[in-house]
Amino acid sequence: MQASRARLFKEYKEVQREKTADPDIQLACDDSNIFKWTALIKGPSETPYEGGVFQLAFAVPEQYPLQPPQVRFLTKIFHPNVHFKTGEICLDILKNAWSPAWTLQSVCRAIIALMAHPEPDSPLNCDSGNLLRSGDIRGFQSMAKMYTRLAAMPKKG
Amino acid sequence: MQQETMQNKDGPQADGELEAATSNPTPDFDDWAKFGDDDIMQQQTAIRAEEAEKTPFEPLSSLAAEYQSGSPILLEKIKVLGEKYAAIRRTRGDGNCFFRSFMFSYLEHILESQDRAEVDRAKSNVEQCRKTLQSLGYADFTFEDFFALFLEQLESVLQGNGTSISQEELLLRSRDQSISDYVVMFFRFVTSGEIRKRSEFFEPFIMGLTNATVEQFCKSSVEPMGEESDHVHITALSDALGVPIRVVYLDRSSCDSAGVSVNHHDFIPAVGGLPNASGSTETVSPFITLLYRPGHYDILYSKGK
Repeated sequence: MQASRARLFKEYKEVQREKTADPDIQLACDDSNIFKWTALIKGPSETPYEGGVFQLAFAVPEQYPLQPPQVRFLTKIFHPNVHFKTGEICLDILKNAWSPAWTLQSVCRAIIALMAHPEPDSPLNCDSGNLLRSGDIRGFQSMAKMYTRLAAMPKKG
Repeated sequence: MQQETMQNKDGPQADGELEAATSNPTPDFDDWAKFGDDDIMQQQTAIRAEEAEKTPFEPLSSLAAEYQSGSPILLEKIKVLGEKYAAIRRTRGDGNCFFRSFMFSYLEHILESQDRAEVDRAKSNVEQCRKTLQSLGYADFTFEDFFALFLEQLESVLQGNGTSISQEELLLRSRDQSISDYVVMFFRFVTSGEIRKRSEFFEPFIMGLTNATVEQFCKSSVEPMGEESDHVHITALSDALGVPIRVVYLDRSSCDSAGVSVNHHDFIPAVGGLPNASGSTETVSPFITLLYRPGHYDILYSKGK
């Protein structure tokens, strides 16, 4: 408990110091609870998520950093490796391949990379995975783009 | 044969059955939906904590008993082992067994020998490892807690300062997940740093094991907890810390000439930047001896100890 708190505090300071280093990620800690974080990440360019801003919620376990943070999308997203209802993310570094060398910041980077490179063979969203696996790239992209517009962009007017 | 496969429980696969057995026998659909990856990870953690209570120290005869109905070659080999070794200490099989065996064996050696020169030497190697990680671009805060905890353990096994500990306390600490896992993680950082620093040397060995690049290998097979160790890991850790390690192999291989012999391999650390001179006729003799059975490492104790 103490160790995880100390580590998170170091990450907090690092985030404050490096605020402008990565313009695609805005990571913030809950005012009253250092185990709760949120992040806003920009959809990577040349993907159907471009132009969207996606919110992530982090719940950090007491055994952190020996155990990975739990991360999910709060913003609706159509992606093979993200659960359409819960926002749960299927990403190896959040499961078996986790190591303390990762940080909350680098997890955000890994999620952005996953958005740009979906892995349809281990889908959490089967509809999305099936479109890609059957080669219907256009169908996948228009669905993903539609949800980006609906959920991840500020309403006009 | 069956006996042997039962020993190969290194790794998380064996957990599947336990989970099925302990969860609600008649779950409705909602319960299963709620039983997510997080629950599985929590359950695995609980099982591991229970396993950690067991690290028995046993005479070598218990090893023979285990293979009583097994391969005659193994029984023969255990007899040969008995000429040099007296006892075995079992390490839990959770994929960290090599690092945990090394940790206990090394700290126990320092506790018994009170070898201050060795501690000083190890400390300066640890400083080198710190610089290696920094130069590879690791942020200090990602590894410094693990380094600090290991140095604290190293200091505590030396008697005469306020924080000195007994053999019994060392055993307790090695079973304490929060200490033991941090030290294992320290070794994983050190191993990863050494492999990446000398990636040209390690690359061909890694290519022989997997299709991964050195970087991928470190990210997927060295740094995550629970990933099993191979000769690449052992060579790197031995070199980085400058600690020789003997691994005795107990498998069913035999050279079917007169009588069986037990193979061992000495990992002798590189000196002055030369690659690991393992297997050469060195005068350095390892004080750490590990018993390797396919898939698992335990600690071996020499006779007269």
